[in-house]
Amino acid sequence: MTVTWTVLPKLALRNVRRQARRSLLTGSAMAIGVAVLAFSRALGDGAHEDWIDAGVRMGSGHIAIQGPGYHASKSIDDRLGPDGVAQALGVLGQPGVAERVQAYATRFEVQGLALGATTARPVMISGVDPTVEEHFSRLGDRVVEGRYLEPGDRLHAYVGERLAERLQLRVGSRLVLNAQGADGEIAGQFVRVVGIFKTGLPEADAGVVQIPLGTAHEWLGVDGAATTVAVLVESGWVAGEMVNRVRDAVGERDDIAVMSWQEAMPELEAAIKVDDWGDYVFHIILFAIIALAIVNTVLMSVLYRTREFGVLRALGLTKGQTASVVMSEGIILTVVSGVLGMIVGVAVTWIFFRNGLDYSALMDSDFNFSGVVLDTVIVPTFRMQQVVLSLGSIFIIGVAASMYPAYRATRIDVAEAMKFEA
Amino acid sequence: MTSMTKSTAVRTDEVWKVFKHDGLAVEAVQGITMSVDPGDFVVVAGPSGCGKTTLLNMFGGLTRPTSGRVWVDERDLTALSEKELARLRLERVGFVFQAYNLLPVLTASENAEFSMLLQGIEPDERRRRIGELFKTIGIGGLEDRFPAKLSGGQQQRVAVARAVVGEPALVLADEPTANLDRAASDALLDLMVDLNRDRGTTFVFATHDPALMERAKRLVRLVDGQIETDERRAPAHQ
Repeated sequence: MTVTWTVLPKLALRNVRRQARRSLLTGSAMAIGVAVLAFSRALGDGAHEDWIDAGVRMGSGHIAIQGPGYHASKSIDDRLGPDGVAQALGVLGQPGVAERVQAYATRFEVQGLALGATTARPVMISGVDPTVEEHFSRLGDRVVEGRYLEPGDRLHAYVGERLAERLQLRVGSRLVLNAQGADGEIAGQFVRVVGIFKTGLPEADAGVVQIPLGTAHEWLGVDGAATTVAVLVESGWVAGEMVNRVRDAVGERDDIAVMSWQEAMPELEAAIKVDDWGDYVFHIILFAIIALAIVNTVLMSVLYRTREFGVLRALGLTKGQTASVVMSEGIILTVVSGVLGMIVGVAVTWIFFRNGLDYSALMDSDFNFSGVVLDTVIVPTFRMQQVVLSLGSIFIIGVAASMYPAYRATRIDVAEAMKFEA
Repeated sequence: MTSMTKSTAVRTDEVWKVFKHDGLAVEAVQGITMSVDPGDFVVVAGPSGCGKTTLLNMFGGLTRPTSGRVWVDERDLTALSEKELARLRLERVGFVFQAYNLLPVLTASENAEFSMLLQGIEPDERRRRIGELFKTIGIGGLEDRFPAKLSGGQQQRVAVARAVVGEPALVLADEPTANLDRAASDALLDLMVDLNRDRGTTFVFATHDPALMERAKRLVRLVDGQIETDERRAPAHQ
C-alpha cells in the first residue's frame, strides 16, 4: 500500500496548532516540568561530582593502585614494593592514560598509635609527599593552626584538630607514633606538630596524622614502597573507562591491584546511589505529571473530534493510520515541549546558578555524609548523556501517553461518529 | 437476486442490519436486494428512520451488515478485512456528508487532495486534477481557504470535489443539501448532475429533499427498512 506518511504528521501538527490555547497550556506545563527536571538533574550531578571529588581527594583517588589484599587488610605486609610503584608510575605516564590523569600521589599509610604526654589514640598515619598532596587532598587548605607540611620537613606531623585536643597537642608539641615496621616489629617515631587541620569529618579530624613520605619510609624500613598510588582523572564520569585502561596497561602482574573509587569507597558509591534513587522518585512523579498532561490533552482532543476521526476513517484511513495521527499529535507536543523545556532548564541554570547554589543557610559548613564533607555550594553540572537521556525519557513518555488516546480513536464507530455533534 | 453478467457499481443481496439498544433489536434494513449500475444517479428516499442512511453506510463499508452481502465494484465487502475495507473506501468510494465534514485544519485544496495523497498519486497529477475540478465546480480561486472561511455551499462543493477527485466507482451522499439554502442547494445539485453526465460518476443519495428526488434517474423509496417502490424515471434536469 502506497501511503504518503508525510500527510499524517502534517495533519497532526495542524491539529496541535488548531487547539493553540490548550496546546500552549499543556506544552508550558510540560516544558516547566522538563526544565525542573534538567535543573534538578544538573544539580544532582553537580552534587555527586562534588561528593566524588571530595571523597577521592581525601581517599584513594578515582583510581587506587595498591598491593593485592591491602584494601582489605590495611597491613604493611600487603604494600606495593618499589618495583610495583615504579610499574604503576610507568603506566600512568603511558599514552592514552597520561593525558587524562590530573594528578597522582604516592602514599604510605599504616594504622598505629599516636601518643601524647598523657594519653594515646589509634590513628591512620599517612606518609605523603607534601608538594603533591597539597594539590591532591587539599588538606593544606584546612589548616587551623600552624602550617601544612613542606618539602624539607622530616620529623614533622600535621594532625587533626580533635586528635590534637585529645592528645593535648599544639603546634610545636611533640608526639610519638607507634606502628608495625617492615620487619614485623613495632617501631616508634618521634615527631613534632607543625600544623593542625579541621575537615569537619570526625574520622579525619580525630584519626589522621600526616608525616613526610621519606620519614615513613625510613621509620618503617620500607624504602621506595607505597601502600597506595592514588590517581585523580578528569572527572568521576570517566573514571570507569580509565580504570580499565590502567588495568590493561598493568596486564597480568599479580603484585599490583587496580581499584576504582567505587571499589575503594563502596560506602560513597552506595550513598550516591541512595541519593540517585531519591532523584529517580522525584523524576518519576514529574514524568507521571507530564504523562497525565499529555493523556488529558490528547484524549480531550480525540473525544472532541470524534466526528473528524469518523471522516478520516470514511475517507480510507486504516485504524493504524488513524492511530498514527493521534500518536503524532502527542509526540509533537512532547518533543516540542521537551526540547523547549530542556533549553529553558539549561539556560536558567546557566544564567542563575552557574556559580553554584548556596545551601549554607540550610546546612553547617562541616556537614558530612558517608565519609565526605559536603560543600555548601553545589555547582550544577550538565552532561550531554543526561540531556539525551532526559529527552529520550520524555519522548518515550510522549509515545506511551499517546497510546491510549490513539487506541480510543481507533475504536470509534465510523457510522456513529457521523452523528456526533462537535 | 444477483446478476453476474453485468458489472455494477454497488449491489446487495438480502442485506439486513439489526441494531441492538438496551436489549431491544431494531431492524433498520430488512433484506434489501438491489443493484446500482455504473453512471447511475440514484436517490434513496424515505422518512426519517426508514433505514436509508444505514443502507448507504453499508454501501460504503462504514457499517457491516448483520446478514446478507454487499458488493462494491464487484468486491464483496463482507469478505474484506478492516484494512481492505479502508483501502476500498480510499480508492473506490467517495462520501459527501450532510455536515460537509471537511477537515478544518486543511485548506480547500488540501481537503480535496487528501485521499489522493493517501493513494500515492503524484503531485503533478494531484495539482492538475484539483485545478480542473475546482474550476469545473465553480470554486476556482478558493483553493487556499480554510473551511471556516467558506460558505456552506462552498464547503459542500469542496466536499463533492474531495469525493469525486479520486475518480471512485461510487459516490455516496447522505442528505448533501440538508444544511444549504435553496439557491446553494440547487447549485450543488446542478454540479452533481453535471459530474454524473460529463464524467460518468455514479451517485447514490439518501435524502428527503424533494428537489433532489426530482433530479433522480432512479428513485428508491424505503419504508421501515424495506423497499417500497423502485422506479426509473426521466429526471427533470436530463
